[in-house]
Amino acid sequence: LAGPPSPPGQDPHGWRVPVDCVRANELCAGEPSCSSRYRTLRQCLAGRDRNTMLANKECQAALEVLQESPLYDCRCKRGMKKELQCLQIYWSIHLGLTEGEEFYEASPYEPVTSRLSDIFRLASIFSGMDPATNSKSNHCLDAAKACNLNDNCKRLRSGYISTCSREISATESCSRRKCHKALRQFFDRVPSEYTYRLLFCSCKDQACAERRRQTIVPSCSYEDKEKPNCLDLRNTCRTDHLCRSRLADFHTNCQASFQSLTSCPGDNYQACLGSYAGLIGFDMTPNYVDASPTSITISPWCSCKGSGNMEEECEKFLRDFTENPCLRNAIQAFGNGTDVNLAP
Amino acid sequence: GAAFGLYFPRKEYSENVYIDQPAGTPLLRIHALRDSHGEVAHFHLCQHLIIFRARSHENRWFQIREKTGLLYLSKSLDREDFNMLSVGNWVPLSKVVLSVFLSSHPFQEKECDSATRTTVSLSLMNASAPACSSLTARQLCFTEMDLSFHIKENKPPGTFHQLQLPSVHHLCQNLSISYKLLAAEGMPFRYNENTTGVSVTQRLDREERERYELIAKCTVREDFREMQVEVPFLVNVLDEDDSPPFLPNGTDTADAVVEFNRKEGTVLATLTVYDADTTPIYPLESSRKKYTGTIITDDPWISETFRVEHIFDEIHFSPNGSQVRGTQHEYKLVLNKSISVTEHRSFQLDVLVNDTEFHGPERSVMLHFNVSILPVSIQFPNMTYQFTVNRNAERFAQIGKICIENCMKFRGVNISYKLLSPNVSCYPVSILQGREGKWGSLYVNDSSVLHRPECKEIQYTIQATDKQSRKHTKTLLTVILEGTLLKKEEDCPDSCAVSKHRAECEECGGLGVLTGRCQWRQGSGKGITTNYSTCTPSIKTCPDGTCDVIESKDPAVCPQDCTSGNIIGGHGKGTGNLGIKSGHGICYCFPRQNCYCEKDDIKEQLCDEMCKTVI
Repeated sequence: LAGPPSPPGQDPHGWRVPVDCVRANELCAGEPSCSSRYRTLRQCLAGRDRNTMLANKECQAALEVLQESPLYDCRCKRGMKKELQCLQIYWSIHLGLTEGEEFYEASPYEPVTSRLSDIFRLASIFSGMDPATNSKSNHCLDAAKACNLNDNCKRLRSGYISTCSREISATESCSRRKCHKALRQFFDRVPSEYTYRLLFCSCKDQACAERRRQTIVPSCSYEDKEKPNCLDLRNTCRTDHLCRSRLADFHTNCQASFQSLTSCPGDNYQACLGSYAGLIGFDMTPNYVDASPTSITISPWCSCKGSGNMEEECEKFLRDFTENPCLRNAIQAFGNGTDVNLAP
Repeated sequence: GAAFGLYFPRKEYSENVYIDQPAGTPLLRIHALRDSHGEVAHFHLCQHLIIFRARSHENRWFQIREKTGLLYLSKSLDREDFNMLSVGNWVPLSKVVLSVFLSSHPFQEKECDSATRTTVSLSLMNASAPACSSLTARQLCFTEMDLSFHIKENKPPGTFHQLQLPSVHHLCQNLSISYKLLAAEGMPFRYNENTTGVSVTQRLDREERERYELIAKCTVREDFREMQVEVPFLVNVLDEDDSPPFLPNGTDTADAVVEFNRKEGTVLATLTVYDADTTPIYPLESSRKKYTGTIITDDPWISETFRVEHIFDEIHFSPNGSQVRGTQHEYKLVLNKSISVTEHRSFQLDVLVNDTEFHGPERSVMLHFNVSILPVSIQFPNMTYQFTVNRNAERFAQIGKICIENCMKFRGVNISYKLLSPNVSCYPVSILQGREGKWGSLYVNDSSVLHRPECKEIQYTIQATDKQSRKHTKTLLTVILEGTLLKKEEDCPDSCAVSKHRAECEECGGLGVLTGRCQWRQGSGKGITTNYSTCTPSIKTCPDGTCDVIESKDPAVCPQDCTSGNIIGGHGKGTGNLGIKSGHGICYCFPRQNCYCEKDDIKEQLCDEMCKTVI
């Protein structure tokens, strides 16, 4: 079966290691031929699909030149400075390079090389990571305690909780926009040894599982008056560069595959959990659908009602959340404090 | 619907490709279904390979047989090809994506951007092809992809899948692999053992059944061993617009009465139209255009005043035991602007509902709304108002409400109340507009007048005016002052809310009190509750969870409902972050500063052990 991904900074084929798109854009701007081709390509892509674009000689030439430039392989980092600007540059090239609407899009983010075991090492100062502790322990409560003992985690957590539970008026129970923003800050700026413990704690009873479900204040950040159709929601998400990128990242890192033992791409649980957490605070915010301690079901707030002839596609999209063995294994592995042992 | 022409029964095909597989190796077989009889399918690959990273290469390795749809390797992929194709793929498993195009005539290159295409994902396996003996029965029989197909309704029959895997068949010729289709009795599908092809035998009708669930069974025989694998085989029937709209129970008329509720946006009546076809929510705009509802009128007043809102929802019906999706359309007649209280007319308003994609004579239905717009009168109930006010009442004490007939039912009617000043010097009360312009609140504006003995019974005229039509009405109001003046306590705060204990609460007055003394509300004392203990000018109005117009005149009247400052202690904030919705123990406030909620557990001991023994 597939081996581990190559370590960062080295490329198995001596290929350029990608730079981030902001940097690549600067490099391109310094070269007159590159910058003019990039401008041409952006004009070519404006409102046209790949095929119409490739029919135009000038556009094709621009594309061929850019394939050799650092812009073509550039990526972004999660939570980097100017992340949005980086993603805008990325999609300005890649939107027109796909064959129409693709079901799965490639992630614009650099691949994750860290593993769950790294988190466990960092988290070994905490108690409760050891599954052998007494059966009475409530891991979700321990996670909240651990967060409260860390200034940064405590500040950002109470920040999003108060924002998400602030009632605006009789009709509007909270400001969803502000709540999402506060949640994004929490998951972007707090180290994952804190955030994962809150999100993915393992539970033996309903009270614990309800606490886990309530982690992201779902009444404000997740639930809504009506459930939109999942394809409609995906479409909304794809109109926003950030949401689109996070969704593509989720699809790249959590796509169940039969090729590996864990069902996860590259057997990397950490990458899948990270891209799941990266969706929180966007239109595609996922959450636990109920407070069942053992059977974990995750879903965004949408359904496949009203899909017409697209029902198959809609259910396939939804199943990547609700019945995804990779995601389920990753959450359970984190809860048990286990990771895949990779042969060195 | 539109003529689609030929189409693919699957959106996506997948297969594995290994290093150094010889040229000529068959990979997989693609089928097409026809839209009309006599069409012949031609398959074609366009010369671009898309790698998962949007990098594209010229396709030099794969070809498809134009007539049969068999995709095969035309050139072996060596390790160098693999490395080139894997660049930019960060995941260990690389994929290349091919687009297969379909046409009803021999192919011309310019058709490479035609819409009818399917995707083939080939996983590049970083190894040479496995030996047959190392493959499990599951791998020998089926690919990883679900056997799930879609067939359009009302189309001619045809073969849409071949169970045998060409790649396995080519690799493992000495194995006997046979298939069967189970649970197919009475279903419109046939399995052909010689070709392992599955075909649909008749035109399907989605409104009868939209899902067929069969089982594909595979048997592998090797020497004396026999292995069996079963996987689900699903067929979804795709919908086209072949049903006209119809009315449930033939109801095409509804009454729409406009009386007290005259506000813009009010739904007056709803009529429902059913359709056995599905209507996708996504993308919404095209579905809106597909089903239209138009007001038929040449009266500009009607088209300005009313609009039709169309919402639709998926419903299920069961034609013969199986669940089939249909659509319920709701057409709501909505006020497009607020209607004046003087307006008085009735007429029939017709709405034409049109199923634009249905090609038949009954594509539209006419809905009728019997609209009656009744005028409403602006008048006081035939009595005069009389309120008594205690002479010890303080400024902002709420005396009562003034309301014209049916005022609480009004929506979209804005009434303003005014006191026409009497020609006397006694003028203690004023009126303030309640929320939503329905009623007026009478309150004490000048408490010094209440102390003057010559003021006893004061007559006012109240006028209520409808802002839109300027219609108005008047009635008499008598305010009677009663009670004897109490001596004012020294060093009392001006707000009741400051008091922490019952005793000091009930011996002081404060802004908004009715009888000169604040009132104590004794809470239940169970944790953080809406029923917390507090001191208030009037239990009826404060705290009641809303910061009304009089309370909002001065923050000292009822901070429990109106405070926007800090609340210290266990509490829950009220709507819009105003007031204390719930609190722990006793809540008290310093106006314009903080509020505090705390348990009062300083129990003064009346008699200690020492004194008991003395007694």
